[in-house]
Amino acid sequence: MTETTTKTTTKTSSLDRLAIPLIIVGALLTTTAFVLAFTLAPLVMGAEVDTPALIGGKMVANKLLLSQKIFYFHMPVAVTSFVALLFTAIYGVLFLAKRERRYDLNAKVATEVALVFILMTMVSGELWTRYEWGVWWVWEPRLTTYFILMLLIIGYFILRGAIDDAERRATYASVFGIIAFIDVPICFLITRMVPSSVHPVIFRTDSGLPPPMLIPLLIALFGMFCIAFGLYRTRLREQRLRERLTALKESLED
Amino acid sequence: MDPILAEIYSTVMTAAPFVIGAYALMWLVLLVYLLMTALGLKRTEKQIAALEESLAQKR
Repeated sequence: MTETTTKTTTKTSSLDRLAIPLIIVGALLTTTAFVLAFTLAPLVMGAEVDTPALIGGKMVANKLLLSQKIFYFHMPVAVTSFVALLFTAIYGVLFLAKRERRYDLNAKVATEVALVFILMTMVSGELWTRYEWGVWWVWEPRLTTYFILMLLIIGYFILRGAIDDAERRATYASVFGIIAFIDVPICFLITRMVPSSVHPVIFRTDSGLPPPMLIPLLIALFGMFCIAFGLYRTRLREQRLRERLTALKESLED
Repeated sequence: MDPILAEIYSTVMTAAPFVIGAYALMWLVLLVYLLMTALGLKRTEKQIAALEESLAQKR
């Protein structure tokens, strides 16, 4: 590993200074999305009812589903986890190419953020599944591939914890991170390859959603991106400071 | 309540705890991670400041 990369710094970069404002912007955006999801976005139609009724000037012939409201955050957090894992793979490739330790640290923190968003996706999805189907788990294609992704990410941290040598740990983790990322496009495209009634195809030329539903979804998505990036920079700064602390302790011992 | 409207809105109240639970748990996961990071950062900054001070005194 190069000498320059083992040195750490306590200096705050411009991106680090952006972290807290980004988290605040993200919190505001997601709160707006939350309000719009329950006000602007209409309730979706469920099973047909025997007799239609006039509600708000419209004939309604189906049961109205509140459980679908989970979707306005469930899908943005899932997409954010994919983006975070893209960074894991990019930093993994950069580490393998340049052997600079900072890339390994970046990959580790990106994977950590990805795991947080994976957990958020899983808990929200589980509650929807439990209500709609009365079960906690179904081996549906998207659920299965996403579950595998979660296991791979947990495996990534187990691998990191199992290797003491920093160079070997960084190399193995980089390779593992890149391999784990292969599941992301599979997971994303699985609803196109194996059509599922549970997970609709959202990203297509006409978006598949009317504007009152698309607006809160996109606001939540950008809000989650802001929060994820803010969290990533804050955690990265903490990890760099920890390295600095270790270096200082070593100097004191000397 | 009108029986037709009651049928149309029949799933709303039963789904509410699951919707509230989903949003609450998502925010909880995020908040726990944010708090862990923020507290870790504060603690590390304090330790570094103390160590840098003692290093400066030694020199």
